[in-house]
Amino acid sequence: MKVSFPYMGTTVVYKKLLEMLGHEVIMPPKPTQKTINLGVKYSPEFACFPLKVIMGSYFEAIDKGAEVIITSGGHGPCRAGFYERVHRRILEAEGHFVDFIVFDSMFRDRKTFIENVKRLKGKTPLHKVIHALWMVYDMIGKLDKLEMEVQRIRAYEVNRGETTRIWEHIQKMFDKAYTRGALRNAYDKGRKMLAAIELHSVEEENRIRIGIVGEIYVVMEDSINMKMEQLLNSLGAEVERSQYLSQWVTYNMLPKWINWSHEKHILKLSDPYLPIQIGGHAKQSVGQIVDYSRRGFDGVVHLMPFGCLPELVSQSIIPKINEDFGIPVLTISLDEQAGIANNQTRVEAFIDLVKSKHKERLSQGEKNINKSTQHVTTTG
Amino acid sequence: MIVGIPRALLYHYYYPFWKTYFEELGIEVMVSPPTNKVVMDLGVKASVPEICVPIKVYLGHVLELVNMGADWIFVPRFVSIQKGQFFCPKFMGLPDMIRHSFPHIASRLLIPAIESTTDDLATSPKQYREIEEKLGISTAANKRALKKAETVWIDFRRWSLKGYEIPDAMALALGTKNPQQEAATIIEHQQDEITLGVLGYVYNLYDSMISLDILSRLREMNVKVKTFEMIPERMLKERLIGMPKTMFWTFSDKLFAAGYHFYNEESIDGLIHVTAFGCGPDSMLGKLLELDSVKYQKPFMTVRIDEHSGENHLQTRIEAYVDMLRRKKQLNTQRGA
Ligand code: SF4
Ligand code: SF4
Repeated sequence: MKVSFPYMGTTVVYKKLLEMLGHEVIMPPKPTQKTINLGVKYSPEFACFPLKVIMGSYFEAIDKGAEVIITSGGHGPCRAGFYERVHRRILEAEGHFVDFIVFDSMFRDRKTFIENVKRLKGKTPLHKVIHALWMVYDMIGKLDKLEMEVQRIRAYEVNRGETTRIWEHIQKMFDKAYTRGALRNAYDKGRKMLAAIELHSVEEENRIRIGIVGEIYVVMEDSINMKMEQLLNSLGAEVERSQYLSQWVTYNMLPKWINWSHEKHILKLSDPYLPIQIGGHAKQSVGQIVDYSRRGFDGVVHLMPFGCLPELVSQSIIPKINEDFGIPVLTISLDEQAGIANNQTRVEAFIDLVKSKHKERLSQGEKNINKSTQHVTTTG
Repeated sequence: MIVGIPRALLYHYYYPFWKTYFEELGIEVMVSPPTNKVVMDLGVKASVPEICVPIKVYLGHVLELVNMGADWIFVPRFVSIQKGQFFCPKFMGLPDMIRHSFPHIASRLLIPAIESTTDDLATSPKQYREIEEKLGISTAANKRALKKAETVWIDFRRWSLKGYEIPDAMALALGTKNPQQEAATIIEHQQDEITLGVLGYVYNLYDSMISLDILSRLREMNVKVKTFEMIPERMLKERLIGMPKTMFWTFSDKLFAAGYHFYNEESIDGLIHVTAFGCGPDSMLGKLLELDSVKYQKPFMTVRIDEHSGENHLQTRIEAYVDMLRRKKQLNTQRGA
């Protein structure tokens, strides 16, 4: 089967899995302005931005020969499968009759899940399937570790652009690795390459850390979020994303008892603000903002598609979190009309604010230390 | 003690229930006035700009009730009224938006979580535990009040199913209008030449400020209107059979089903979809219905409304649409004859 999938984040992973199951993979091109224009042209005007971009992506993949599209319904009551319905119908209206395989969480609808797996598995023997799954899970974990390192050190690189270049190279190495050994090699080599990047030295106390939270697609896919991570890094801030693929897989594909601790922790933190899941990632976004403040981050960038229902609710609650924890949060809503230049200025101003707050905190910290030492001397 | 009910969102579907319920408990009910400029402005100012109009309006009504001196404000959290289905995320998070945006009234909010398996809110009394606790009401009294509320609400639904628009159905169920008087209007309606299926959430259609009174405009053009709440639940459900489950949210699903019902029903000459600016669910169901308009050979028009919509523009558009439908119908009858 000539299969394709929506473009999101580190796509080498999906590609690898499908290849190992014996499919011919049609890589969707990374979304560009052209993709967005295509998507906007065919999608309903008020559809969410991710739906539009993915729509454009599908047209491009079909152009390249894709016959089957694999996608996920995501969890939570928000998008729950309706993307595919709309996409399929629009494609049909344009004369493209492609097949869709939609993966929802295995725990919601076990039967369809298993059927989907069977279709994808095809004639691949079971032991090979297990091997492939295991490989890919391993690969996701390794890539995520390296990516976290990238998001940290890129803030201090001496030669602009070097880290990103190396990161892209690393992903290519992973793309070519088909055995466990090759994977390990790629990982070790990748780590060494990152370690060799020349960095400005910045004192621990002067480091600025920013968390990124929000709707999964715009958080994960940098081609439509103004390359937010790179932008923040270039302004001298370390970045951590609220979502990594490995966490997503753990939460959606593995049973509860294995490892949901992180997700559960985050959901708990949001309870005082948003006691129930309202769909999408709103509850997570709120919890993650609280989590970042507790972990001493300097600020949070909240990304959402324009008009995103659940994230509008989180956006409405953010001022209260800010009041409670003092953490600065910048909400940016993205769509085809989002003025990049304008948003860029907003991000720059935000980082300035965060930096001056950081300094303030430092000098206050010093005062407190002085106070406590005085205290010690008087009583001692 | 006065409980304030915002005249917005599902007020337009559940007011007869809530009014009866509180009054049975001996509690006075206060309702905010129909949406006006002041209420709208209050709401717009209090909300994040991107959010849809009906939510903005709701916040306005809440603030207005505070100004009017209500002791408690009733802002239920609608989670689900059908198994495996939910409400639009904004409904589910609405009480949180309110209590975090206006911390000074947080302690005066009554927030029962509505989680039942049917539209009939009396079917799971435990939702109202919150009211027992906060207002000091016994479980027995609560049950009794729910029972009475249920009776009145079912009566209200019965009037809707007979074809009455919601304000009339409410008045009839609450006894402020006399059924005999009403019978005449219905018969008169039947002589109208064209019938439109109007798709829209009750809180948009029946809020004349939000919808710019589209229903009366149509009535003045001598058009008969059918809306989703006039279609029996059973028939709506039938339309959804065979479609992937839980695609939209409960009321979006009802609209979606109503759309196909209108397409299939001969007496309906055309469809109008009235949708709030920025309503994500509507853009999906609207697109799917619009694409199918060709297949069913019935015209489909979308009317988008927000806090800046202009009346003239709307009037011109619906007039043109209705004219077109009339011509089409005449042509068909001539051909048929
Ligand atoms: S979470 Fe936001 S972007 Fe995703 S489907 Fe819902 S409204 Fe659209
Ligand atoms: S269904 Fe649409 S109009 Fe209603 S609250 Fe949700 S987004 Fe707003």
